[in-house]
Amino acid sequence: MSLFSIDVGSQLVDLGSALLLLTCFAIVAQRRLSACVDLFVLQSVFLALTASLVAFLTGIHHIYVAAALTIVVKAVIIPRILKQVIEHVNVKRELEMNVNVPTGLLICGALVILAFFITQPIIPLGFLLTRDSLAIALAIVLIGFFMMIARKKAVTQVIGFLVMENGLFLGATAAAYGMPLIVELGVFFDLLVGTLIIGIYSHRLQDAFDSVDTSKLTTLKE
Amino acid sequence: MNTIVAPVVVFLGAPLLGALLSLTSKHTRFLRGLNLVTMSALLVSVVAIVRDVLSQGPITTLWGLVYLDALSAFILLIIIVIGCTASLYSWAYLADHLKRGVIAPGRPRLFWCLFHLFLFAMIVATIANSLGVLWVAMEGTTLATAFLISFFRTREGFEAGWKYLIICSVGIALALFGTVLTYYSSVHVLGDVSAALNVTTLQKVAGQLDPQVLKLAFIFVLVGYGTKVGLAPMHSWLPEAYSEAPAPVVAMLAGVLETVAVYALLRTKSIMDPALPEHYTGNLLVFIGLLSFVVAAFFILIQHGYKRLFAYSSIEHMGIAMVGFGVGGTTGTFGGLFHLLNHALAKSLAFFSAGNIHRRFGSLEIKDVRGLVTVQPVTAVALLVAGLALVGMPPFSMFLSEFMVVSALATQSFASDTLHLGRFLTIIIAHDVRSLAIVTVLLVFAAALFGGFTYRLASMVWGTVPDGVRRGEQWDVGHIPLLVTVGAIVGLGLAIPEPVKRLMGRAVAILMVR
Repeated sequence: MSLFSIDVGSQLVDLGSALLLLTCFAIVAQRRLSACVDLFVLQSVFLALTASLVAFLTGIHHIYVAAALTIVVKAVIIPRILKQVIEHVNVKRELEMNVNVPTGLLICGALVILAFFITQPIIPLGFLLTRDSLAIALAIVLIGFFMMIARKKAVTQVIGFLVMENGLFLGATAAAYGMPLIVELGVFFDLLVGTLIIGIYSHRLQDAFDSVDTSKLTTLKE
Repeated sequence: MNTIVAPVVVFLGAPLLGALLSLTSKHTRFLRGLNLVTMSALLVSVVAIVRDVLSQGPITTLWGLVYLDALSAFILLIIIVIGCTASLYSWAYLADHLKRGVIAPGRPRLFWCLFHLFLFAMIVATIANSLGVLWVAMEGTTLATAFLISFFRTREGFEAGWKYLIICSVGIALALFGTVLTYYSSVHVLGDVSAALNVTTLQKVAGQLDPQVLKLAFIFVLVGYGTKVGLAPMHSWLPEAYSEAPAPVVAMLAGVLETVAVYALLRTKSIMDPALPEHYTGNLLVFIGLLSFVVAAFFILIQHGYKRLFAYSSIEHMGIAMVGFGVGGTTGTFGGLFHLLNHALAKSLAFFSAGNIHRRFGSLEIKDVRGLVTVQPVTAVALLVAGLALVGMPPFSMFLSEFMVVSALATQSFASDTLHLGRFLTIIIAHDVRSLAIVTVLLVFAAALFGGFTYRLASMVWGTVPDGVRRGEQWDVGHIPLLVTVGAIVGLGLAIPEPVKRLMGRAVAILMVR
């Protein structure tokens, strides 16, 4: 706390959050699946750094635990699972999308504005240090949500979901200096098991449909 | 003190042990015995808990991690009762599929493991003190059921399972954002304490929370848990999952999981209500409830699969319950809670019968099923009871709860705190045009639903039997839950048992915090 004034601290936290948002845009613009996974790793590292920074500046130690878990779960284990899935299903690039890249980027820009608009009335309630990160967090959640709709491949949909989770985590850190530890642990557990299950599912989808293109999932209709 | 801790330990320990031990053996007898022990332990504990809650009021135990009041005890009762009947039904269901070679001999192991984990997650969701743990457990239910839905490993099963997994995970992620926002507002009042998400803590400071944050939080929570409930327009996973999953699993999904998701919504609502403007949460619930009702009514008219038909009927009934909770007042809230209980019983019965029909006729299409009354007379009676209860015919208890909701809606402008039903007549002379319009819409669609639903059921029950279908009811252990549930539905139409009534009365008081 003595090293930085609160002003410099909040600038740095803002910088970290902005980098997170930037990686979101990069993922939206990226077609190669393995590059998407790498960008997700980068985003998770930024997230862990931002969280550690908040932990350092506030002296709240349980945020360190969450940051360490972020590295282990989101930057090491989950990317491995995803890479294996990509290997197995043998899909390297996503050629068809529901929304093309330029339009997608424009929509994401609009989502960021929307997020700032929504959080406008509740921002003043927050801590000085992390005030602006809440809006960015919501923006990341919305962009993750958008990715799940815009992309067709199972793997990119999962990455969209994981990006949403990153946004939520940033939101929790920004809004309230992290959730209670028991909740934090539970969320990581769910995330890990969820990704495992989704990984197994994409193998099965590949075997049953000979494709991981979710737009081919049309056996069940009205 | 010990009398309270013991049942709670059983709630958490029994299903978890059941899940782990299920993996150790593939002998049918062992798995059944294990399930029997687990379920009886749970049944005894839930009775003990209901008694304790009725005599002592809300209970906080296990270092403040567990919180139980009349509302959670009521939901627990539904979970365990339907859990027991679904277990017994699964015995027969799995045995039959093993015998016909549809599933490999080692597979029931996985079924029972996931089944018990599913129960565990729902129990944790209901008794957790923290809204965060409630969220973790709700996501846990999604994960536990993902492989239960695709249990038969068919193409359709995987497709339905994938949709379920993705849509529910996204929905529930939005609910987490709502939970984060709730935490945001409570930390602002309480400072950074780990108890700031606890129900017991939030109840104390409820009035001081920031209304702006909570408004936003409630919308996220409503969309999130609403996805799990299957409310329109987030319902698209539901018909698919319900038509592809094994019948006992669907009975649990429709009867219990939806109820638990409604519980998550109600718990959040009861905490937020004191801080929010009057009718804010209520109006949102009424709106989304009516929307679900209308959407479901349209889709019911065009369904050709009977399990899908029941799935849309679930959406419709959850819509009605939401309207009840949204309108509020003693009548509306009591009606909503009672509706949850009735729906759990009737819908599980409907899917038990659907499972019997599917195994005999080998088709999910309504047009392929004819003359059920000569093929499987007992199942036909069960299907008729479930179907008539679900359309709200008078002898059954669902008529009563729907009636309460509708009359609460009609009389909402002069909200009355008495529980008599004669107020139905006031619909006709209601001066409040808005509620009159809503009630009219509701009744018109209810009539359409009634027609569509009974017409299809009648076509299944009567008619000439298709060639090649074996006749005669084949008695097995799966008929016990069928008969017990029929008895319960008929019985509840005549009288509500005194302890259950008192429990619901207490739960209504909890929900009407204002």
